Amino acid sequence: MNDVFGKVFGWFNSRLPIVNTFERHLSKHPVPSKVNFWYLFGALASVVLIIQIVSGIWLIMPYSNTEEEAFSSIEYIMRDVDYGWVIRYMHTTGASMFFAVVYLHMFRGLLYGSYQKPKELVWVFGCAIYLAMMAEGFLGYVLPYGQMSYWGAQVIISLFGAIPYIGESLELWVRGDYYISGITVSRFFALHVVALPLVLIALVFLHLVALHEVGAGNPEGVDIEEHLDEDGVPLDSVPFFPYKVLNALVGIGVFMTVFAIIMFFFPEGGGYFIEMANFEEANPLVTPEHIAPVWYYSPYYAMLRAVPDKLGGLIVMGSAVAILFVVPWLDNSKAASIRYKGIYSKIALALFGISFLTLGYLGTVGVTEVRKTMSVICTVIYFAFFILMPVYTKFEKTKKVPERL
Amino acid sequence: MNKYILNINLIHFFTFVSLIFSINYLSSAEGGPCKDYGDCDKFKYSLNDMESLQRGASTFLNYCYGCHSLQYSRWGRVAKDLQIPEDIFFDNLVFDKTIKAGDLMTGAMRDDESAQWFGVAPPDLTLVSRVRGDDWIYTYLRAYYEDSSKQYGVNNLVYPGTAMPNVLAGLQGNQKLVCKDIPVLAKNGGEKRDNLGNTITKEKCGFLQVEEGSGTLTKDQFDQVIYDLTNFLVYVGEPAKATRERIGWYVIFYFLIFTALSALLYREYHKDYH
Amino acid sequence: MQEKDNTRRKVLIGLTSAVGLSGVPFAATPFIAAWNPSARAKAAGASVKLDVSKMQYGQQIQVAWRKQPVFIIRQTKESLAGLEEVLPKLSDPNSEAIDEPYRGLNLTRSKSSEYTVIAGVCTHLGCSPKYHPEVEPKPWDASWSGGFFCPCHGSMFDMVGRVFKGVPAPTNLAVPPHYFDGNILTIGEDGGIA
Repeated sequence: MNDVFGKVFGWFNSRLPIVNTFERHLSKHPVPSKVNFWYLFGALASVVLIIQIVSGIWLIMPYSNTEEEAFSSIEYIMRDVDYGWVIRYMHTTGASMFFAVVYLHMFRGLLYGSYQKPKELVWVFGCAIYLAMMAEGFLGYVLPYGQMSYWGAQVIISLFGAIPYIGESLELWVRGDYYISGITVSRFFALHVVALPLVLIALVFLHLVALHEVGAGNPEGVDIEEHLDEDGVPLDSVPFFPYKVLNALVGIGVFMTVFAIIMFFFPEGGGYFIEMANFEEANPLVTPEHIAPVWYYSPYYAMLRAVPDKLGGLIVMGSAVAILFVVPWLDNSKAASIRYKGIYSKIALALFGISFLTLGYLGTVGVTEVRKTMSVICTVIYFAFFILMPVYTKFEKTKKVPERL
Repeated sequence: MNKYILNINLIHFFTFVSLIFSINYLSSAEGGPCKDYGDCDKFKYSLNDMESLQRGASTFLNYCYGCHSLQYSRWGRVAKDLQIPEDIFFDNLVFDKTIKAGDLMTGAMRDDESAQWFGVAPPDLTLVSRVRGDDWIYTYLRAYYEDSSKQYGVNNLVYPGTAMPNVLAGLQGNQKLVCKDIPVLAKNGGEKRDNLGNTITKEKCGFLQVEEGSGTLTKDQFDQVIYDLTNFLVYVGEPAKATRERIGWYVIFYFLIFTALSALLYREYHKDYH
Repeated sequence: MQEKDNTRRKVLIGLTSAVGLSGVPFAATPFIAAWNPSARAKAAGASVKLDVSKMQYGQQIQVAWRKQPVFIIRQTKESLAGLEEVLPKLSDPNSEAIDEPYRGLNLTRSKSSEYTVIAGVCTHLGCSPKYHPEVEPKPWDASWSGGFFCPCHGSMFDMVGRVFKGVPAPTNLAVPPHYFDGNILTIGEDGGIA
């Protein structure tokens, strides 16, 4: 029996690189032996992606993408479809967890210089994934067609209107109608369900291929390729299977525990994962008291509100995301990891983290004079972190990066 | 070393998660959801208390369903979830005998007619507990007071200018806004007294007070009715809630076991390179 | 030491895999269950109740159940007597080739001795056969003694829906689950009692 299986498998293996690919990219792929929990978030992100796709497919089945039925189809899922509520909450929890994991994953990149040569392209693909995720999340939130879906869409699409000359026509073109309607919902549906997931999957694939081409980093910033054994395998590495698989498994266990706590006990996230206003059907005639985006956009929302001019706010918001793409070329440091960088980098990163979190908080609350000033200060710090990076990374005293892990 | 990392990871996650939820509770008093009432009274649901839910359903169907629909809820499901035998439910609480168990609770009034009568169609209440919150409903229904300047002679501290009449006035009695003499408090929290040892008072207005005996229920009884009604609305807002919380414990327990086992397995293999 | 390690590893792998795999059916449950008929489907597919007491003898009425027509015929003494005479023309007089829910209870093939309850769906390709109770020569049968004629491809059935020999339809018209409570006929549920 084993022999038959061997023969059949051999037939396929001589026509498709099954064993080779599996060993090169999974089982025998060399990974740095000493990493910490910050390195788990990439694997967790792929887990969430799979959760979103599976739960998403199942949500499409009972969902109705028309203006008249969208909102009630969500309640249909929650009540009339057996275990529909499980699938719905899986998807909403997954959306928030996706961003939580990705933010932590990106922070790891800043912490350990994961974008440094030769991993610049890995970082760039990653930023593209982040951008696609932001679009995907926005489009998805419009689909339940609640009050926040409607008015959130209204605010974001009106931002297009700020663009000079083409703004108004662009707004009309994106909406497909003179106001947000079922036409907008059904096209956002196609983008959210098919177009952007395909883009995301392609980008994730490229992100991983680019990573595997040059090899993963580590918290010390050591280049493990410098010291190889007789077989050409880095001395400071371990094969992915079973060591990193088991490591990832623990991370997944903790992650799923948190996921389950949120999904089964706090699916609304105190109003931050599913906003209370979204349990009311979209009403073009009544604006909710507080229009706020979901928590993962709140830092950018705070930046938008910090700038008095509409177009200016749009430019600042866009630049805040765009500047991420060029970080590999802003960092002049000889060391990759924060552990060996100088004091300026450490202070800069700490300030960046604090300002980003503060902006996140400010985006969720109402505007006051004091908060507006704080938003402006934090936005300046945010940009300063990047814009001044070429300077402070060049002139600070770094420690010598070790040779071996 | 690895246990340390795992613990830090856990601590980080739980801190992050709890931070998210505590932000919600930094809400202010007036200008908050309960408007002129101040902070909403706290409401704690009990979805496993079938008797409370049944009383709440009865109150809703007798007093509220005449105007307010529950358009996403089905009759038979309510009977089943509240453990009311279907025949008893339909005999006593379903007044339109053409209704079948699988039907949606689409309401007793037409929207266009009710909009004409009340100025605005009484909103569907299936999701009100998720839009406004349980605390809000519990407070709103007890915050009506006499106000001769309004169309129905009543106003509401939680929703000033509401178009809804005080449907439960017969049960609660006539509630008025009164002024009371309140002890003046010193900076340390104690009551200020004059030279003779009498408490100094100041008149403060805006207190709700029910006329004794003007309603069929006592204050505690009425509060219980509103508790049950709000409890029912929490159920109707999300019928799967009780099930969700019950299943949740099992899922979390499962993942904790899985995490513990995979941690042991990881550490066992980690010996290979350390 | 090596031995103990190996055993420990095997045990741990086994335990972790067992725990991991045991979760799979639970995780799969919501996705599989979500495909069951939803409450909306159950409500729309719910049984139909009607009062048949006002029907005339020999009259046929039609109701919809799960988007299909169901015929109810109030048989006359003559039509029931005629069931014997038409036997030689029938392909399956005792409904042995199909799943007959109330076999042997009544001549009518239903739970009542007076009313016939049958699915109005021709067993050939699904058209709705027409009711022709008149006992007189017809273009499709010179010795017609009442029954159903399907206009699509000419299949013929007797007054209680049993199929003729030599027609395209292979089997008798199906009898849906039903029960009588006095004059109220419920189609779609068995009622439990014989």
